[in-house]
Amino acid sequence: MTNSSGCPTHPTHPTHSTYVVGQPNPQSPPTPPRQSYTASHDHLPSPSPPPPQPDDDASLAIIFRYTSIPTIVLDSDLVIRQVSDSYVDQVSSESRREHVLGLHAFDFFDQHEAKINSLAARTAIQIAIDTRRHHYLDHIDGQFTWSIRIVPIFRHDTLQFLQMEFRDVTPERAKQLDLEERLDANETFRMLVQTVKDYAIFMLDPQGNVATWNAGAQCFKGYIRDEIVGQHFSRFYSEEDRANKKPEKEIFDALRDGRVEDEGWRYRKDGSKFWANVVITPVYRSGALLGFSKVTRDLSERRKAEAGLISAYEEASKLKSDFLANMSHEIRTPMHGMLSALTLLLDTHLDAEQLDLATVIHQSGQLLLQVINDILDYSKLASGCFSASQDVIHFGDVIQSVFKVHQKCCPEKITMDSNIDPRLPEAAMGDSLRFRQIMQNLISNAIKFTENGHVQMNATLEGEDEHHYHVLTQVIDSGIGVPPLVVDTLFTPFTQLDNTATKRHQGTGLGLSICKSLAEIMGGSIGFHPNPDGHGSVFWFTAKLGKVQQSHHIDVANTRLDALTLSPTTQPFEEIRLAAVNKRILLSEDNPINQKVMLKILAGLGFHSVDLAINGEQAVSMSIKDPPPYHVILMDINMPIVDGVTATKMIRGAGIRIPIVAMTANALKGHAEEYIAEGMSEYVPKPVDRNLLVKVLLRCLGQDQPG
Amino acid sequence: MSIPGATDSIDAPTFEQILEMDDEEDEREFSKSLVYDFFTQAETTFVNMDKNLEEKDLKTLSELGHFLKGSSATLGLTKVKDSCEKIQHYGQKKDETGSNDITEEEGLKLLRTTIEQAKTEFYEVEKVLKKFYHDE
Repeated sequence: MTNSSGCPTHPTHPTHSTYVVGQPNPQSPPTPPRQSYTASHDHLPSPSPPPPQPDDDASLAIIFRYTSIPTIVLDSDLVIRQVSDSYVDQVSSESRREHVLGLHAFDFFDQHEAKINSLAARTAIQIAIDTRRHHYLDHIDGQFTWSIRIVPIFRHDTLQFLQMEFRDVTPERAKQLDLEERLDANETFRMLVQTVKDYAIFMLDPQGNVATWNAGAQCFKGYIRDEIVGQHFSRFYSEEDRANKKPEKEIFDALRDGRVEDEGWRYRKDGSKFWANVVITPVYRSGALLGFSKVTRDLSERRKAEAGLISAYEEASKLKSDFLANMSHEIRTPMHGMLSALTLLLDTHLDAEQLDLATVIHQSGQLLLQVINDILDYSKLASGCFSASQDVIHFGDVIQSVFKVHQKCCPEKITMDSNIDPRLPEAAMGDSLRFRQIMQNLISNAIKFTENGHVQMNATLEGEDEHHYHVLTQVIDSGIGVPPLVVDTLFTPFTQLDNTATKRHQGTGLGLSICKSLAEIMGGSIGFHPNPDGHGSVFWFTAKLGKVQQSHHIDVANTRLDALTLSPTTQPFEEIRLAAVNKRILLSEDNPINQKVMLKILAGLGFHSVDLAINGEQAVSMSIKDPPPYHVILMDINMPIVDGVTATKMIRGAGIRIPIVAMTANALKGHAEEYIAEGMSEYVPKPVDRNLLVKVLLRCLGQDQPG
Repeated sequence: MSIPGATDSIDAPTFEQILEMDDEEDEREFSKSLVYDFFTQAETTFVNMDKNLEEKDLKTLSELGHFLKGSSATLGLTKVKDSCEKIQHYGQKKDETGSNDITEEEGLKLLRTTIEQAKTEFYEVEKVLKKFYHDE
């Protein structure tokens, strides 16, 4: 503002030049401030305009004083002539505009309160004056960002005023920064993905069409971006895979599981194939499927190297095994000849010394033959051309016969004992010869290493699933035991315990390693731990043996005939009465007459807690509890609401494994197998024969314990 | 224990098994109550069968057949059981062995005759049984 005389109130500022464009000498004394607020005289070329008309001046001054845009007006000497209230309120921390008015702009800018960078402001003002165009300047003050517009106002080529407007651009600035940052990150990732050459990384749209392409993809697959974008990704698969709907299935699996990984052949543009590892992941943005990311690695080299290694190993291993097998065979034939001749020789009249020598030869020959047989077995096992046969193992028979053989020939100082789990099924599917071989080997070892004491054999049913029994056989002796040092090598070929100079115990050291392989072939394992009684060893092996379901269910009709023709002995009835103690049965049957009969039969057999469900739905809700409330469920097939088969599926679905016995008058061929396949454990045709029911219930109660 | 005059309509071993459940042979309380329950059940079922035959509701007829088959089988009433099994099959639009398809009309025709046959067989065996229990 000017004072009443129109003279400037500020002192001259010697350090600042006066910016008057067009004046040849910028060092000339400062021009007095001009009253340039009067627009009415603009057309006059007067260098010193007439005094302002007060009204105009005042009203124009009001504009700058009260404008909502924070504003400072400088005169041509860069002296602050006007400051808007909005500037004082919003921008400057200098609360009194009187302190600002009349200051030279640069002095004011040097102060912190001005909210402007002094140096930048000087430059900006210079630019605005030089170019005669408004010029922008940004100033960041803490968390605020100001955009300052400097507007030069010229009249007759002479700078009259400079108007500086301050605008708060903090939010815009923040947005801008954020955007820049994001663009930057996006760009980084884009570059990364595009330039990676070791992986094909690209996007598929939700329909499975290729949407993006990278250098790796181009490298692996041979397509350039323009040829492949928009094509369905199934073209990388073989025709066979396409025919099997593998691509569609992978998309489906990826959507279901959130990811799918696959290894297989993929095809290049030129038709050649490569072994690829592929990961497909669905990509969502705010819940909507955007497409799929597909990452492919070329594993051809690795696969080739692996295959090379494996075949080299197999070749070497096969040569070794073939050699052993051939050698054993070649040795065994003359060996048999020799032993036969020796047997004949022993029958001739030999004197005592001859007999003695011949006996030694015979014993050594027998041992040698055993060794050769072991080697033959071992090499067969090692060459992988040995597979377990699937015949029926009758546990009782096998165990008893092995036991008896050893009982006969074991020294008198050893007592032998066997303990067979009553829950063991009578029979199971497996290789009975090999099962016997393992048992024999373990027992003969136990006897060999026990001078006096006892050898005990236990066979127990360790567990079972739908199709298999897990049978554990243990041979426990009180012999010399196994020193801790050699425990690790017990099952390694050609190592033998007591490998000392005295060598009291003969053998190849192959026995246990053969047993190990045999147990593994039978889906089990073998192991050792010291006898917990202190002396001796416990050798055990497990075998996974198939259930003979089919046979005994197909035999149902026969069993039933047997049951009818043979007069019932009291024995199974006593057995079932014992088994029935504290057993709970759920009878699921809709026909009241049948309910009555079944309840009566069950009561007669000693089952005193029998619950009744009159349809499948009830049966399900009554039996799905934890722990399972029943030991056996007798399930009618045709029932209202939920039938027996569905009810069984629901009960099995809830993880309840107790025996479920199907009962139905649909005694058609093949039905039994059908019900078993649906998850039932046994099958009894209607009308229910009591003897058959007893047999079935004994089987059920013998096998499963609830919980 | 055999039942006179019913060798082909009652399966002896099955019925004997029921009789064995009686606590006292002279009273035959349990088996008698069972047999008389069955009479009631059969009568009711036949009424239901007639009704559903009118309404040509084959599915329900099949279910009724199966239902009565279950209890007649339990008692060893062979003939009734066999007829009920046929009713069950016809109701499912299958022939009497249950293996080949037949039309709905054929099914209804066969059902009509078989239900009548089942009734006759039932009344015959009912007579024999009532006699056995000294009710007649």
